[in-house]
Amino acid sequence: MAVGEYGITVDDARRDYRRFVNLRRLIKFIALLLFCIFAVWTVWYMNMPLERLSGMFGRIGTMVFNRMMPPDLDYALTGNVFYSILETIEMSFLGTVYGVLLAVPVAWFGAWNVTPSRTICYPLGRAILVLSRAIPPIIWAMILVVILGFGPMAGTITLVLLTLSFAGKLMSEQVEAIDMGPVEAIRATGAGEIKTFVYAVLPQVKAAWIGIIIYNWDSTFRASTILGFVGAGGLGLYIRSTTQLLDYERTMGIILVVIVLVIASEILSHFARQRIR
Amino acid sequence: MSGIEAADASGINGAGLIGDANPLRPRNTILKRYCLIAGFASVVLVLTAHVFVFQTDWARTGGLGQMLKTAAWFLPNLGYFPSILLALFETFLIALFGTLIGMVIAIPVAVLAARNVTPAGLASYWAGRVTIVLSRSVHELIFALIFVSALGLGPLPGMLALAVRSVGFLAKTTAEAIENIEIGPVEAIEATGAKRMAVLLFAVLPQVFPIFVGNVIFQFDINIRRAAILGMVGGGGIGLIFAEQIMSLAYDRAGTVVLGVVAMVLLGEYISIRIRSWLL
Repeated sequence: MAVGEYGITVDDARRDYRRFVNLRRLIKFIALLLFCIFAVWTVWYMNMPLERLSGMFGRIGTMVFNRMMPPDLDYALTGNVFYSILETIEMSFLGTVYGVLLAVPVAWFGAWNVTPSRTICYPLGRAILVLSRAIPPIIWAMILVVILGFGPMAGTITLVLLTLSFAGKLMSEQVEAIDMGPVEAIRATGAGEIKTFVYAVLPQVKAAWIGIIIYNWDSTFRASTILGFVGAGGLGLYIRSTTQLLDYERTMGIILVVIVLVIASEILSHFARQRIR
Repeated sequence: MSGIEAADASGINGAGLIGDANPLRPRNTILKRYCLIAGFASVVLVLTAHVFVFQTDWARTGGLGQMLKTAAWFLPNLGYFPSILLALFETFLIALFGTLIGMVIAIPVAVLAARNVTPAGLASYWAGRVTIVLSRSVHELIFALIFVSALGLGPLPGMLALAVRSVGFLAKTTAEAIENIEIGPVEAIEATGAKRMAVLLFAVLPQVFPIFVGNVIFQFDINIRRAAILGMVGGGGIGLIFAEQIMSLAYDRAGTVVLGVVAMVLLGEYISIRIRSWLL
């Protein structure tokens, strides 16, 4: 019988190994079983009609290829609807610009390593980031429509909040990852908080921030296409009215325009990203 | 072009931030930059005036005092909180299973859309890409509308809408991860005479698995927020209650729902941080 270095036989080692492997397998198996039970319980608890799934593809096919075809592009590209498309682009542009302007100080305040004051500014920055993130954009839009009235102003402010939550968080993570050497060097010259930020922090994060802002533009634009659903301006209003009238050809026309615009904006931001590289 | 100018033109050099602080930069570049900034600022100004002055009915909106008064209507009514707990739990389940179904669909789509492992050349590559673009550019409410009309009201169409909507992000990031894998293990497994499936399983999967799991958790985080609005179009969850309270002008109850959504999102974020540190 082979005896190892510490007086453990190979058989012992093998038995030990097997015991652990079997235990791990058992734990994995039990976890999977529990998850399956949980899934079945969910289906039962939420009364999900799984038997309808078999006919789903047929019905979706009928809807997309019969009732939505041919898409009514004339409707989507003339009159009020065309104007609302321009309004959507306008809203997302303004939302990104003002959102980024606000996100810069918030990202600065909310970064633990360079925040001007850890007792006041840091909690403030964090609270703004967390609260704007925790509430979905559509719910923000519904609240702002009540407060500010219908129209693109509510939508623009929703998009500002979306940019704050999305770009602000990523931007403050970038600030937290910077090299502290330059910060200490600038502070050692007696510079104040603002000068430290401008000369030590900004040069380090600038390239990453521009990438984040471009990425953020994409998500802002996508979000802006639906805000009209709750009256916050843009073409979402027409998506809602045409679906409620069951005028799916027109809905499809608008959706097609949205898809084309989203792809165009992605191509644009792809080139912008390549240019800053 | 000197190295400094090249760095400046790419906008990466730190000194470029201050503009005229860099003596090596020619004058007309500075002028051009100022013109660009001025042009951009005037466009922003015109659009701002259009949206905030001409497109807004200020007589209806009122001044700051009126706005604050309206906002105060949304102060939560805590007595209503217990009755939305079940709906919040349902929303959570919709997000969880929507993400899981989306994850399952995203794996084959990612394999199709990754240039280096796509099975049937350009045709399957473009099939994967188009699926990703469609899923990413159509909002979840529109998917929910389509699924509700095919399956009836309830949480099932909501889950499927979230799943279809998640496919784009998950497949896109995973396809990028597959395109960036190290080729060494792939060649090693191929050298043993392994079939395509075996290569995928033993050379590609281990390399992209951590990225994939991280993205699924991130997507779950996002889907909790998305699930909170699906009820507006009949996709189940808390969204229906919120829309009802807004429409019946019960703003204090709507505020309670918002509070519940915030609590649920924060809880979901906490859970996903825990799962991430446990798995990765």
